[in-house]
Amino acid sequence: MPESDTLLEQDTALDQPWNVVVYDDPVNLMDYVTWVFMKVLSLPKSVAERRMREVHEQGRSVVWNGGREEAELYTQQLQSHQLQAKMEKPGE
Amino acid sequence: MKAAPTLDGRIRIDIEDALDLAVLRAIVADAHARDDDLASRLAAGIDPDLAEDWDDYVLPELRGSFNAQLETIVGVLGKVTPGETFFIGREDAEAWFGGLNQARLALEERYHLSENEGIEEDDEVKSAGIRSHFYQMLQGMLLHFLMDGDAL
Repeated sequence: MPESDTLLEQDTALDQPWNVVVYDDPVNLMDYVTWVFMKVLSLPKSVAERRMREVHEQGRSVVWNGGREEAELYTQQLQSHQLQAKMEKPGE
Repeated sequence: MKAAPTLDGRIRIDIEDALDLAVLRAIVADAHARDDDLASRLAAGIDPDLAEDWDDYVLPELRGSFNAQLETIVGVLGKVTPGETFFIGREDAEAWFGGLNQARLALEERYHLSENEGIEEDDEVKSAGIRSHFYQMLQGMLLHFLMDGDAL
């Protein structure tokens, strides 16, 4: 494979978007999770509630998707509010 | 103990006796109910590609933030005595909420309270469950009266 093709594949891999995923837990209050989504992710109340319900009913919810740096920031902020937040590559 | 919202936007807590104070001071002890700290538990599942950076940069910040929450609580409870009243204002609401959450998370992980609800429990587990419910009640008040709960 020519060198230019190899570099292109590497660049694509580095630039791929990341999912910020929040997992369910038996402790965090539903209203609190909604409040954190509104505060950290600037989601409107209706969307924040929908994401909270996904976490509660399906065990997890992708709450944000985008570049690595922002995903790291949001994951850190969600963890600082004691939510089980992780970064995942789409498809994992 | 009595806890209630006040007209000026605070939560008033009346400590009626030594037992009330002991229950409140248990928040910090309960937050340390596990050997591994909350920051490490939260970071445990981070993507392996990010783990090294996370441990170096994020983990210390999380630890600092969680410790500061508990220090806020220790600072208040170190000054009050039975028969006194203290207030939690908006400026400290998130720290109190976070400290109470740390305690509930650690109790849940140690005693699996949500899984054992309704099952016959020994005294230690029963006592942990009662404290966890009390902490949750205080969290509800903080969230709805002080932490912009009107938006919820």
